[in-house]
Amino acid sequence: MDCYSFDRIISDYIDANLNVKLRQEANEHISVCPRCKEKLSDLKSILSELSSLPCRETRPDFESRLMDRINQTKEQKESRFIRVFQDYSRPISVIAAVMLLVATSIFVYTSVVIPNSPGSIPSAEIRSVEPKKSMTMPATTAANVRSTLVSTTNESNHPDTNKVETPNYNKQIMMVNE
Amino acid sequence: MEREKIKYTDEELVKRFQDGDERAYIELVKRYKDRLLNFVYRYLNSFEQSEDVVQDTLMKLYTSAHMYREIAKFSTWIFTIAANLAKSELRRLKRRRVISIHSMGFDDKEYEIPSVDYDPAKETTSNYGEKQIQQAIDTLPDQFKTVIILREVQQLSYEEISQILGISIGTVKSRINRGRLRLQKLLKELKEQ
Ligand SMILES: [Zn+2]
Repeated sequence: MDCYSFDRIISDYIDANLNVKLRQEANEHISVCPRCKEKLSDLKSILSELSSLPCRETRPDFESRLMDRINQTKEQKESRFIRVFQDYSRPISVIAAVMLLVATSIFVYTSVVIPNSPGSIPSAEIRSVEPKKSMTMPATTAANVRSTLVSTTNESNHPDTNKVETPNYNKQIMMVNE
Repeated sequence: MEREKIKYTDEELVKRFQDGDERAYIELVKRYKDRLLNFVYRYLNSFEQSEDVVQDTLMKLYTSAHMYREIAKFSTWIFTIAANLAKSELRRLKRRRVISIHSMGFDDKEYEIPSVDYDPAKETTSNYGEKQIQQAIDTLPDQFKTVIILREVQQLSYEEISQILGISIGTVKSRINRGRLRLQKLLKELKEQ
């Protein structure tokens, strides 16, 4: 074995990953080559230093900061509309929603019951479509309000938390230059 | 209560968290925050930024735990996320460093992250000392840097590193061998300076 070959197996030598024959050859080389002997002992000591580098610790408020961030994200995701209805301390919102419902009902009523005049074709067309939507008014409104709330709050808060890099993506990212 | 929790493996904890138990998440945070910090810290050599990356990693655990499948060890899964985030952060830091060099009018080709608290004085307690070793790690090309930190600092197996980086075990072995020699060479040069 020469110095070049020894360099190529030095890691496996340290990790004891060599077969008996190669190990024997390596040992023979070290016994006659001060350069490789020195190199081996130096590398061993570097690796032992690396494994015993002082450990860093997260600051004491690390967890509380993390939980704050999580709670912020949660709030964005929760349906605020539903919470408004559950929260009786906000009757105004309830009244507003009821008024909206009443207005929609009137709209449905007039479009279905009152016959269309020939001069109002455009609005009649709209009206003929609208009632179907209006029948499910509370649910659709809830969904609309909710999605609006979610989309607006998402924009303002940690946009990059929506980008999820999972291990599957990793291969493409990490396999650079070998 | 505390003793009961310790009985769970990481994988069991993720399962519990996937089923809605937030205490399991907190337990995973406690188990991994410092381990991840030490990995990212050696990679970025900046405490503040490293803590941020660990926060982001654990946020992703919270928002994407449903994407974890038990075919992988949890540790390799979370390290993969941390490694990707750390890599992006390092790129960002380097870009920032390049910009600041240009804006200052220096024509300096070397734009490695400066080790803020680097003290060239050799430490007496060991052969090289933490600062010199950290400086050598900073100078390693990325492909060697990551494997060296995962292997030598985190003491992970070839198999685990292969999964985290999505490369073959053969490639891991070869990078570890070359990375170690490169590190040794860099340290020698630093010592001679
Ligand atoms: Zn030799």
